[in-house]
Amino acid sequence: MTTELKSKRYAAADVAHAIEVAFEKGWTDGLPVVPPTEGAVRAMLDGAGLEPEQQIAFITNRQVAVTAEKVAINAVMAGCKPEYMPVVVAAVEGIGDPRWGYHGPATSTGGAGVLMIVNGPLARALDFNSGDNLFGPGWRANATVGRAVRLVMRNVVGTLPGKLDRGTLGHSGKYSYVIAENEAESPWIPLHVERGCRPEQSAVTVMAAMAPHQVYNQLSSTAAGLLTTLCDAMRYPGMAGQPNYCVVLAGEHMRTIAADGWSKADIRQYVFEHTKNTVAHFKRTGRIPGAVKPEDESTPRPLVTAPDDVLVVAAGGRAGTFSCYIPGWGSRTSSQAVTVVIKDRRS
Amino acid sequence: MEILDPTVEPRQQPLTFVPRPDSLKGKRIGLVENTKFNSDKLLFKIGEILKDEYGAAETRMWRKHNSSVPAHDEIIDEAKRGVDVVVAGVGD
Repeated sequence: MTTELKSKRYAAADVAHAIEVAFEKGWTDGLPVVPPTEGAVRAMLDGAGLEPEQQIAFITNRQVAVTAEKVAINAVMAGCKPEYMPVVVAAVEGIGDPRWGYHGPATSTGGAGVLMIVNGPLARALDFNSGDNLFGPGWRANATVGRAVRLVMRNVVGTLPGKLDRGTLGHSGKYSYVIAENEAESPWIPLHVERGCRPEQSAVTVMAAMAPHQVYNQLSSTAAGLLTTLCDAMRYPGMAGQPNYCVVLAGEHMRTIAADGWSKADIRQYVFEHTKNTVAHFKRTGRIPGAVKPEDESTPRPLVTAPDDVLVVAAGGRAGTFSCYIPGWGSRTSSQAVTVVIKDRRS
Repeated sequence: MEILDPTVEPRQQPLTFVPRPDSLKGKRIGLVENTKFNSDKLLFKIGEILKDEYGAAETRMWRKHNSSVPAHDEIIDEAKRGVDVVVAGVGD
């Protein structure tokens, strides 16, 4: 590859100094970054078969073109291996999709993170964690791919905390929020296949998302029993009309639900039906304006518009009677989950 | 060693502002409501003040699709044709 890299260059005495320069320039998420040297950036571009000037996304509200060169620089800084680059690129394509609606979830006081769910053969080949300590630290792919996307948001699109990222509280998923589905052990159709991809394809699904909420049930031995607990936990704190919820079913719960013969479609339908609140509940708890009318007591209001808005993912440790749900951010008209095929552009 | 800058400058856009009117007397006021709770009431009140205290002729309110997006084309087109001044903002 001989195309010139056009980014401005800064001199640093050594690696330690380069790390400090990155802090001083305001380029980091608060943690040290890997110095983005030309060699490392070129290796990152080669990892995805991209030329530096290729546009990965255009963020309309900011009038910012996100080029492969800038994505590669930020991926190096995040600590990615070059082979992760196609996943980072797909995630950036996802948050640049008008359906994801960058401006709202990136800027809102609601403080959403970008939940990224990786599916397909690449998830296993690149060792994305889909098991123990699913949302926790310890896996380079999970930790650095999400970090790279956040650094792109910060450095390329200008989503700076306190400026164009106005999250009131935010959450730790805004550092990195990447999981893979446990397709090897899951009895169900993988998420990306449900959303239109072929099983042999790899894909990343991006969802504007709040933090995960853990749900515990050690007693039930049936699908309905476990999902009753999950729905009870989801229902009352639920908002009125979010675009998506993600339900992550870990090993023991996954096996119990599957043993009852339930498909993901069955789970979605059950969750949709059993997480409805009444309009009266939303009014009493200050989520919908207005006085409670008699008919509000019997007027149901679902958490999401349709069962398909619930993303069901099999992931998490094999042991432990826990699962979780993740509320989406905003409304259906402001941000929807988007699934992007991870492309191999290397010829 | 040399390191590469991970940031970009936003693309420059020429923006031409319409001159502000010297007075609101007799002007038609457009109000763009961003769907947040109470933003319609706030804008309605602002419209009343502009009529009562500044002599504006009339007000008209539009509602955006949601608070995260710019005013849609229908609002822009109707505002161009039907009002002299627009009041917009983010209520949260």
